[in-house]
Amino acid sequence: MSIKGLGKSLIVTLPALFMVACTSTDTDTGPATTETTETSTTTQQPAPKTAEELAMEANEQAREQRIVYFDFDDSTVKAQYQDLLKAHAWYLSRNPATQVVLEGHTDERGTPEYNLALGERRGNSVKDILISYGVNSSQIRVVSYGEEKPKNPAHNESAWEENRRAVLSYEG
Amino acid sequence: MRTVNRLRKSFLVLIAIAASISAQADIDIVITDGMNFARPIAIVPFEYKGTVSANPPHNIASVVAADLRRSGRFNPMAVSNMPERPISYDEINLEAWKAKGIEAVVVGTVEETAAGQFKISYQLVDVFKPKQQMVNGELVSSNNYVLLDRVGSASEQNFRFYTHQVADNIYEALTGEKGAFATRIAYVVVDRSLPRPFQLYMADSDGYNPQRIYSSEEAIMSPAWTPDGRSLVYVSFENGRSEIYLQQIYTGERSMIASFPGINSAPEVSPDSKQLALTLSKDGNAEIYLLDLTTRKFRRLTNTGTNVIDTEPTFSPDGKWILFTSDRGGRPQIYRVSTRGGRPQRITFEGEYNASPSYTPDGKSIILVNRTNGVYHIAKQDIETGIMQVLTDTQLDESPSLAPNGSMVIYATVYNGRQVLAAVSTDGRFKARLPAKRGEVKAPAWSPFLFQ
Repeated sequence: MSIKGLGKSLIVTLPALFMVACTSTDTDTGPATTETTETSTTTQQPAPKTAEELAMEANEQAREQRIVYFDFDDSTVKAQYQDLLKAHAWYLSRNPATQVVLEGHTDERGTPEYNLALGERRGNSVKDILISYGVNSSQIRVVSYGEEKPKNPAHNESAWEENRRAVLSYEG
Repeated sequence: MRTVNRLRKSFLVLIAIAASISAQADIDIVITDGMNFARPIAIVPFEYKGTVSANPPHNIASVVAADLRRSGRFNPMAVSNMPERPISYDEINLEAWKAKGIEAVVVGTVEETAAGQFKISYQLVDVFKPKQQMVNGELVSSNNYVLLDRVGSASEQNFRFYTHQVADNIYEALTGEKGAFATRIAYVVVDRSLPRPFQLYMADSDGYNPQRIYSSEEAIMSPAWTPDGRSLVYVSFENGRSEIYLQQIYTGERSMIASFPGINSAPEVSPDSKQLALTLSKDGNAEIYLLDLTTRKFRRLTNTGTNVIDTEPTFSPDGKWILFTSDRGGRPQIYRVSTRGGRPQRITFEGEYNASPSYTPDGKSIILVNRTNGVYHIAKQDIETGIMQVLTDTQLDESPSLAPNGSMVIYATVYNGRQVLAAVSTDGRFKARLPAKRGEVKAPAWSPFLFQ
């Protein structure tokens, strides 16, 4: 899957960027404001971005990926999604009024009722990780759809791969 | 050769059934296996005496024949092969039917007594065995070969459903087991081309007369009947997450049963209609609860704790036990717990995945979904011996639901890239597919007996 591949490479490169920006924001806020006013009065150049803005942008890009895929019959979040979830956690902990819904989904194999519970378990796995990165649990709501809302309604292996997922969906 | 023969047989069956089911059915029935075990019988076309209507509302003989064929127990003779067309017992030439190898013959009459009102008389005749009667303290054969002699009435509206009751009576007289043709099946249709893709339906047991019960933009799951056959409980996502509703079929009145944080799933009403078993995860993980339908109080039945899934509760026929699925041992397996509580006992050990359990009406077996080597089939496990028998050979089988007489299981499967319903007899011999005309069909639920 080429789109999936793209998503993966974004996850690898972008968090690094916003993490760097992220660490510098605390110290650089003061000078950044003076710089902004200076440029706006003296030159026509677009304002160079503050570290904060850079961090936000990097984070926004990192958060474009909102789907975590799972192995068959499994609700363990794979290591490859840690950076992605870190990016979402960073955003959520800086925006405590923002709510995120974690939609848990399964493929069609197995019984629909067991899968509804399995979808919830997947959502909860993601929730636990977000909380471990500092997100307040009151910002997170887990909703399981089980096998009822497939991303791909076909009945084959590649559809099942796409359907075993948790989706981070921001409210408001 | 044998497969070719069988293939030809099922092809003939297909034609006969396609002819007997009108456009008023959304689901057809294609028998795929098992006719070689069926008993040869004949349902002779009924005589019609009309006053106002030129024809009876439905062809009783063909509906009855299709019902009996669909049970897997009988192979009704094609009308064109019949040696004669008697309309009452007196007219039957038993020798002519014996020569054709027919075991039993049904004859009858439909009479229009007033506009849209009909009197239906019919007799079931055992071709080989006369009734036995006591004469001077000795059991002797009589000259009476009539097993069943009935008269009933029906309006134009309930004429076809009455026909299923005729089939039930014939089935019971010939097998000793109550028939389950005059029953209904609820199911969910998913048609993504529609603005409300999720639709809860109810149809007669042969797929005829489909009626929409509820439709939604969001998913509908797990329909189950109340024991009186007048309401359905089901899971609806209409508010963006799983909630349980109870809906009266004939008034359309709906009420919300459960809408707790987390999942609200797998509702099932107890045989005495007093309780509802369900799965809730409001306390952390999916656990089994009982709702007292009078006091509206919830009682937690399982206490498995962190990250274990307990779900799919169903009652034993006597209402004393709950079967459920739990992955407390690592993989989903079937457990049993008393409705009073206590420690659950594991029931299944064969295969890597057993789920969706239900007791057969005699309480002696469990019907379930079994996964062995990654393949999902409907299976039956004998409770006493623990022996499991796989019943189906279809793909991705799920949601088994038993006919109220325990003879047949209807379930959801995937055929030709679409989810469809299928049926299998509980002895695994007879198999049929129920292809739908549109969309995907799933979550079948067989009604209880609708007439006591």
